[in-house]
Amino acid sequence: MKSLKFRQLVLTNRLSSLGLAIVIVSVSLAAAFAISGGRITPYSPYALNLQDSNLPPSFTHFFGTDFQGRDIFSRVIAALPIDLGLPIAIVLLSSVLGIFLGMAAGYVGGVVDEVIMRITDLFLAFPTIIMVLAVAATLGAGLVNAMLAFVFVWWPPYVRLVRGGVLEVVAEEFIAVSKALNSSFSYIMFRGILPNILPSVLVYATLDVGTALLEVSILGFLGIGIPPNTPELGVMVGSISYGLYTYPWQALFPAFITMILVVGFSFLGEGAREASDVKVRPYILFKGRAFRKAPEITKQELAKQ
Amino acid sequence: MRNLFTGNFGIDPLTGQTILSEIRFYLPNSLELVLFSFVIIIIVGVALGYFAGMHFSTLGDSIARVIYLVSWSTPMYLAAIVAILLFATFIPIFPSGGMYSLSISPPQPVTGIFLIDALIALNMPAFVSGLQHLILPALALAFVNFGLISRAVRSSILNVRWSTYVKTARAKGLSESEVRRKHILRNALIDATSLSAVVFGWVLTSTLVVEELFAWPGLGYDAYQAIFSSDYPVLIPIVVIFTLGVIVANFVADVAYSLLDPRIAIGGHLSEVT
Repeated sequence: MKSLKFRQLVLTNRLSSLGLAIVIVSVSLAAAFAISGGRITPYSPYALNLQDSNLPPSFTHFFGTDFQGRDIFSRVIAALPIDLGLPIAIVLLSSVLGIFLGMAAGYVGGVVDEVIMRITDLFLAFPTIIMVLAVAATLGAGLVNAMLAFVFVWWPPYVRLVRGGVLEVVAEEFIAVSKALNSSFSYIMFRGILPNILPSVLVYATLDVGTALLEVSILGFLGIGIPPNTPELGVMVGSISYGLYTYPWQALFPAFITMILVVGFSFLGEGAREASDVKVRPYILFKGRAFRKAPEITKQELAKQ
Repeated sequence: MRNLFTGNFGIDPLTGQTILSEIRFYLPNSLELVLFSFVIIIIVGVALGYFAGMHFSTLGDSIARVIYLVSWSTPMYLAAIVAILLFATFIPIFPSGGMYSLSISPPQPVTGIFLIDALIALNMPAFVSGLQHLILPALALAFVNFGLISRAVRSSILNVRWSTYVKTARAKGLSESEVRRKHILRNALIDATSLSAVVFGWVLTSTLVVEELFAWPGLGYDAYQAIFSSDYPVLIPIVVIFTLGVIVANFVADVAYSLLDPRIAIGGHLSEVT
């Protein structure tokens, strides 16, 4: 019941449905590129063609070509699996790590809590991108290394988020009842606590994919961690910084695509966050302007109850 | 370890100068850029968030939300590139890089911060030139980072607006502007204060990209050069300084927090990072 309402709220919100549309289109393009083995792009994203270098945008090359004659439109499509896959993997790994550590800290408490949280605070104090750069530079160039460098600094907010959620849930009666019924430790953890903290983690993670995408592309832009000549949006922007005045499209198109991708995740996450915000939700439902169908849903649900 | 606290970071193997002297040169430049754009961020961020919160669920709110979400989703390099292309190439009103024009004589360094030095030396051409060079990178930095503040202010205004004590304040017969200023905005600022430390950290690290693109001789530029040439002896103190900057910002935010919210005494709160 609750999840249905949440889903309806997300879908009836214009902001989050626009975000969802962007995310679905880009993810399916990326999947199509990956599954077809790169056969859906009009030109090869890798092959050099020095005769056609630095062409302006036209109908044959939608986004123009770069200094080595590669079609930028094809390269942007080839970049999607990397630029979406890397942030999603980073957020997934960090959230799994965060859920385990956060649940351990929140549920076990005591010395475990103290140790985990102090380490988390230590990692939180470092500025993210600088640490990522330092770790990535140490590990050497490579997509897996870049991902590891990100996960290394990306998990602390999840631990704090999950721990806060666990502390709230543990105080509730059904956990006490579950303990009294002699439920196993793992049953309480995965059936009692986890489902209650997952929605907030999910909302945070959606927004976080966008942030991770930004930082990944900044890593590419600075030319550290991600191998040069990889079709990655940030790398594509960074590789032309000397021809910026002569061939601005070579930087502008990949940069705008990055922005659109991040906007998709931000809109989706923002709508989901608002739909899950208990304090604001009644005002959304009854003011009814931001959400078109919402009041009808509540009437139906009231009738059912 | 003792050397870390006494500021003896050793010698840069690439340039042969002491790292401390390099940092002494770069740090004030970064500080000038970061503080200037941070002021813009706070003003614009709070204003937009307040506007959106008070016009909740109207067209103005939607537009404000789209603005701050887009701002927050913009890659740092896009903002910088667009700023350079728009205001330095197509409409050349600002210079595209550097800290001051070569034609002026720079003031004697006293504090190291260019604008203040120019003022101390009463060197007006240098001050104007410094300001001209500062505006574009500062605006680019501010545009990318004000979103989080706006969002926090908006959502805490939504939490506060319909609360009982605001109703009480109205019932007491306070004027509408007084209710808005003292009861709604002041409470909304509390969340924004603790977040501003996070934003400060972002601005600090965004300098990596901005200083590189605008050729601004600051710490971010130095860090980028150091990483690019695997110059770890230089990189380590810079990471330490950036981390210290974030910690100091958190401390300042905590103090400001307790000044704004009378319920909180110094020494008893954990800020949320969501």
